[in-house]
Amino acid sequence: MEALNYAWVVVALPLVAAAVIAAFGKLMPLKGSEVGLAAISVAWLVSLVIGWQTFVNGPVEAVEQVFWSSPMGGGITIEFGQYVDGLTAMMLVLVTTVSLMVQLYSREYMHGEDRFTYFFSMLSLFTFSMLVLVVAPNTLQAIVGWELVGLCSYLLIGYYWQDKPNADAANKAFLTTKFADIGLVVGVIVLSVGVSAHTDNVFSIPETIDLAMGGELSELTIVMGCLFIFLGAMGKSGQMPLHVWLPDAMAGPTPVSALIHAATMVTAGVFFVARLYPVFIQYATVMNVIAIVGVITLFFAGFLALVQDDIKKVLAYSTVSQLGYMMAALGVGGYTAGIFHLFTHGFFKALLFLGSGSLIHAVHSNNMSDMGGMRKYMPVTFATFVIGSLALAGFPLTAGFFSKDEVLVSAQIWADAGMATGTVVYWLGLAGAMVTTFYMARSIFLIFFGEHRGVAHTSAEIGDEAQAGVLDVEAVAEDQAQAAHDTHDAHDDHPVPHESGWQILTALVALAALSFPVGFMGGFLWDEVGGSTERNFETWTATHAIEEAQYPFLPGYEGAVGGIEADPEAAAGGTVVLAAGEDLFDLSAPVAAESGDEGYSNHVLHGAPTFHLDVFVLALAGFLVALGGAWVIYGRGQPERDPTLHMGGFTTVLVNKYYFDQIGYDWVVVPIRDRLAPAVSWSSNVLIDGVVKSVGGGVKRLADFTYDTVDQKVIDGGINGAAFSAAWWSQRLKRLQSGDVQRYAGAMMAGVIVLVIAFAAAR
Amino acid sequence: MTLLGPLVLAAFLFCVGLYGVIARRNAVLVLMSVELMLNAVNINLIAFQNLLHGDDPAVTGQVFALFVIVVAAAEVGIGLAIVFNMFRNRASINIDDADLMRW
Repeated sequence: MEALNYAWVVVALPLVAAAVIAAFGKLMPLKGSEVGLAAISVAWLVSLVIGWQTFVNGPVEAVEQVFWSSPMGGGITIEFGQYVDGLTAMMLVLVTTVSLMVQLYSREYMHGEDRFTYFFSMLSLFTFSMLVLVVAPNTLQAIVGWELVGLCSYLLIGYYWQDKPNADAANKAFLTTKFADIGLVVGVIVLSVGVSAHTDNVFSIPETIDLAMGGELSELTIVMGCLFIFLGAMGKSGQMPLHVWLPDAMAGPTPVSALIHAATMVTAGVFFVARLYPVFIQYATVMNVIAIVGVITLFFAGFLALVQDDIKKVLAYSTVSQLGYMMAALGVGGYTAGIFHLFTHGFFKALLFLGSGSLIHAVHSNNMSDMGGMRKYMPVTFATFVIGSLALAGFPLTAGFFSKDEVLVSAQIWADAGMATGTVVYWLGLAGAMVTTFYMARSIFLIFFGEHRGVAHTSAEIGDEAQAGVLDVEAVAEDQAQAAHDTHDAHDDHPVPHESGWQILTALVALAALSFPVGFMGGFLWDEVGGSTERNFETWTATHAIEEAQYPFLPGYEGAVGGIEADPEAAAGGTVVLAAGEDLFDLSAPVAAESGDEGYSNHVLHGAPTFHLDVFVLALAGFLVALGGAWVIYGRGQPERDPTLHMGGFTTVLVNKYYFDQIGYDWVVVPIRDRLAPAVSWSSNVLIDGVVKSVGGGVKRLADFTYDTVDQKVIDGGINGAAFSAAWWSQRLKRLQSGDVQRYAGAMMAGVIVLVIAFAAAR
Repeated sequence: MTLLGPLVLAAFLFCVGLYGVIARRNAVLVLMSVELMLNAVNINLIAFQNLLHGDDPAVTGQVFALFVIVVAAAEVGIGLAIVFNMFRNRASINIDDADLMRW
């Protein structure tokens, strides 16, 4: 268990790597990529140990540590630390595994790019950001990680910023998620205000959860806080209608897409909802909103993938759809199902993106219409891509099969408990799975079957390639495969696509291999293949809070957990002891006791997954129907007339992406850009500046008046006037001073006479 | 006894002296006119002494007149010295020429 204390190593290593690469990367023989790879490898190993320890020990006591804290006054403390439990461990394993594969892959994929070192630094920073969020013990640290993730995604989506569309895509991703982040911040504030009545550590996630489960927080606090946080999660996790940035984010390099879609970005929203899950489940309103948004996303996003020609866009919309599954699962009480799907999806979606990158690397085009027949040229990519697609489509025994089934089973249980959203998620989830199968089958047939259709290379592109080749020759010599690859790149044209080098293939094969076991550990066959019901994905990711959590709005609610109503101190102190904890994983026993003959559980955890024949049959039937349909249409290569592009109005709607971008542009971007921004600019430049200017002008006029009138005229005039009048009088009076002694004597005499007369008269 | 005679005489002398002081241009004559005015005052002093304290052995008025005569003598001495110097400097004793102190 000691390994849990070292989770910070996993977080710190990528940061150190990012800093070292940024500072010294260009001086290194492999231009910094070796530092990134080494750091993420060590982090990956530590994560595996942490994952293993949490896995074998079942739901572990969370390790919470504070490394740095800063009291802010008013009882608020900002803390940075780590909070490690099964959920954290699961995310650590996912993020580091995918990051490791992506970095290995990028060494080849990004070879010879300008700013290769910068790219690796950013990859490490991206991983670090996500890990900060994953280990966050309080919502403030989570926000820091969350925003860092947004920043890194902006930088990496805009990696090819030389082309304006790419910079625009980066801006779109940043602004869309930033809009949603307002919700996150508001939600965190609302929750912390509610918590502040009970404890000083207002941002602490475990304390928030304890208070929410103890019924100490008001309905308004929880509903508002959760819905606002969910808005943030919608933006980050690409839920409709805030998914619009995700397809555009394909402008980034393919490894970045893999990272964003599998590990470090879109999972953040789902993870954060899961982290605060005991708070979210307190009110049906919150759950229903999540379920409805999720089900809308999962159902409608899938159709968008049908009409795409760009392979990365197909995968992007499929990610949106799968994120819908995760959210919908969380919304229908499937905590384990939601994060299980998050976990498995991370592996096979990374695989699919890296596979598509391998194809793009070979064909130099994103478009499926430029591919075709690729299985002859790229057998390994073909095999791994098919495995990833099967996992995504939910073919039996693949990872996606188990996780998607579990989502549907959760929906079924929810429906049995009397919640309408459960039914909706169940049926639309099945339909969505069919759509998923269809578009993945369409992609595979278009890419790998039929004849190679080739790419119309422009001379400019060839020039670029040649230049890249020249640059590569100058670069430090790579291994043999890489060298051969470069020489080939330097050729003037590409008569035949070729398989990628070992680094790309290693990543693909490793992820393809992982696409199976990650599913088994949470599936109903786990004990058949040597696992144990005591130690499966559910026990791994369950926290103590989740074990105790119940849905208060469902019948059979046992009241606040652990007799909190009788003893509130116990809840606040977090000393709640779970009654009959072990039994909770067994679906049959406690359910009967708790809810009588109703047959459903009030608890969040359903117990070890069981085989549901109806789900299995329906899902498999849907898979086969969709696959068959796709085979009929696309089995012989690209048809002259692609039926998905000739569905009348429906195609128009899909090609226009349900007009979300249009509506967003017309109703959000245009009003803000053309009305609000000019108005704000006007109010700043004209109104506020005008006030300032007029005040300044007034003061200046007053000063001028004071100077001209008061100072120059009144004061100076008075003084000058006094001087002038003195001069004027002196001109006249000086004549008395005649110098004529006799005149003085006469005057004196006159004076004497006057005095005498005066004295005489006075007498 | 009446004072009319001495007072009229004194007034006459005073007016003559005053006229001389104001009207004459010759500095020596001006000095002489000043002496006339002083002597007019002396007549008044003696006349009033005689009128008010005729029997009194303390002859305050006469003593005062004596003082005036002494001072007048000194004054004439200084005055004549000034006139003398003035003549030496400008070859004139016309009082109108002594206007250095004018504006």
